[in-house]
Amino acid sequence: GKQLEGIWHTSIVVHKDEFFFGSGGISSCPPGGTLLGPPDSVVDVGSTEVTEEIFLEYLSSLGESLFRGEAYNLFEHNCNTFSNEVAQFLTGRKIPSYITDLPSEVLSTPFGQALRPLLDSIQIQPPGGNAIGRPNGQS
Amino acid sequence: MAENGESNGLPHPSRGPAAAQGSATAAAEPKIIKVTVKTPKEKEEFAVPENSSVQQFKEAISKRFKSQTDQLVLIFAGKILKDQDTLIQHGIHDGLTVHLVIKSQNRPQGQSTQPSNAAGTNTTTASTPRSNSTPISTNSNPFGLGNLGGLASLSSLGLSSTNFSELQSQMQQQLLSSPEMMIQIMENPFVQSMLSNPDLMRQLIMANPQMQQLIQRNPEISHLLNNPDIMRQTLEIARNPAMMQEMMRNQDLALSNLESIPGGYNALRRMYTDIQEPMLNAAQEQFGGNPFASVGSSSSSGEGTQPSRTENRDPLPNPWAPPQATPSSATTNTTTSSGSGSGSSSNPQLIQNMLSAPYMRSMMQSLSQNPDLAAQQMQNPDTLAAMSNPRAMQALMQIQQGLQTLATEAPGRPPGPAGSGGPAGSGGHTGSTVSSSAPSETTSPTSEPGPNQQFIQQMVQALAGANTPQLPNPEVRFQQQLEQLNAMGFLNREANLQALIATGGDINAAIERLLGSQPS
Repeated sequence: GKQLEGIWHTSIVVHKDEFFFGSGGISSCPPGGTLLGPPDSVVDVGSTEVTEEIFLEYLSSLGESLFRGEAYNLFEHNCNTFSNEVAQFLTGRKIPSYITDLPSEVLSTPFGQALRPLLDSIQIQPPGGNAIGRPNGQS
Repeated sequence: MAENGESNGLPHPSRGPAAAQGSATAAAEPKIIKVTVKTPKEKEEFAVPENSSVQQFKEAISKRFKSQTDQLVLIFAGKILKDQDTLIQHGIHDGLTVHLVIKSQNRPQGQSTQPSNAAGTNTTTASTPRSNSTPISTNSNPFGLGNLGGLASLSSLGLSSTNFSELQSQMQQQLLSSPEMMIQIMENPFVQSMLSNPDLMRQLIMANPQMQQLIQRNPEISHLLNNPDIMRQTLEIARNPAMMQEMMRNQDLALSNLESIPGGYNALRRMYTDIQEPMLNAAQEQFGGNPFASVGSSSSSGEGTQPSRTENRDPLPNPWAPPQATPSSATTNTTTSSGSGSGSSSNPQLIQNMLSAPYMRSMMQSLSQNPDLAAQQMQNPDTLAAMSNPRAMQALMQIQQGLQTLATEAPGRPPGPAGSGGPAGSGGHTGSTVSSSAPSETTSPTSEPGPNQQFIQQMVQALAGANTPQLPNPEVRFQQQLEQLNAMGFLNREANLQALIATGGDINAAIERLLGSQPS
């Protein structure tokens, strides 16, 4: 069997706000403000010149196109996908590979394959954030 | 310059200077590099000379993306590319990706205010808070507070305290301290639909034990509550915050006029001590008592003393001050101290989220269709415990998701509990998700298990058919009323049923409808 250290949920903290992607779309909250609490580990991806204004514009177009809530998929297109995209946008660097490799690690085990249909349908949205990119904050 | 080898990207007007430049370095044959430009929505490849400036690059981009150059913001490796830089300067080589953000000209209101507020604050700028918000606490509108009591118990997810009444008081406090939130909650359509059901509201109010005591002492109040017209009017007013403010202003004016009539002050005082004060006390007990209590009692000598001719210059007590020290012993409230205040900054958003979460919506809908069960549910300690357990709520949400998928996959097949087995089996199954801890369905509810299960079934049904919530059969709902109408002589069952449905089960209104439509 294979031992996984954890199923990582990641988010990007920039301009003193935390941004993450869940089944409800892109959301933001104060850092560590979701129900999951303060982070297990913090990785410094770099520094960015992008202003908050531009970033929020970027996020809202992402939220309408690539990262709508319905597009959430636990394996292929999850919070880590989002964090990776945003990290590259902001700094040009990607997030650590042990996070992005997680789905393929799971799927490479027979157990993971067996569980796949069930896991595929799981929609995760850590409570505690506000949605971005919708004219009305309520879904 | 190799015209034929040139890319399709560079527009002709800039060919001139570029050509001049190009010819100077013609000998060096500037390399054409392929750069991918990525926007949130699409991705395009551009072939440009290595030594182009960002400005030229933008012009090429603006053609392809159909925007103006000043709308384009190019970002590479976290840096914003300025017009006078060159691509080489930033290290943009062949095959790399540059990010592009296209600024929209007229940004929606929410976005333009976002940079100024922290993103963590309320994003529902669509309903911008009105500048003169009337806090409802001081004026004796007990219905308002009664409603809040009911509402508060519904949306308590995510708060850290486990004791339910603590949660409730926390919610109420936050609501009262933030008039904007109150307004937003009032405007939430589901709140409004709940408020518009007079039966439900009446029961919620009656369920409050302090109100019950009050009603015993003052039968007039029970008249008020039972008169559907007044209830409806009050609810209308409660629903519409602007109207409420108007009403209160008028009331204040009328009261102050009364004061000046000889003997009027006595009447006022009597009215206050008999009716308003106990109500205010009852409703506000959780907040540390009536802040105005001391004001009245200080002039307790003789009922007939007119207010002194000079203006009273003492500042009125601050009703919104954080509740002082001792919580009342009647309720089980423990510290409503600043601890809740600090947590409350993030809580309003939680509450917003919870109110808008889909399962909340369907629950509210099913609740509003079952006023009796709703009141019962409020008191059932297990449901309360379940609702304050976030994991249970998450489980419920997952069930809803599963049911929705099921509904789309096999629309003909009714969702599990309704179609399958007996009520006992289904009750047990759904019961396990509702109660947060181990106790089985048979031991949990103190009142009849029947309606409890029924309610859960309906809730699950409602969750499953979230788009079109299943109404329990109107005939069943209105059984009692139908019988009454029959006894009164309205023999047309169909017409009765329709009238009952139209008035939501209100017999008197239904009778009026029937009489109005029948020529006799």
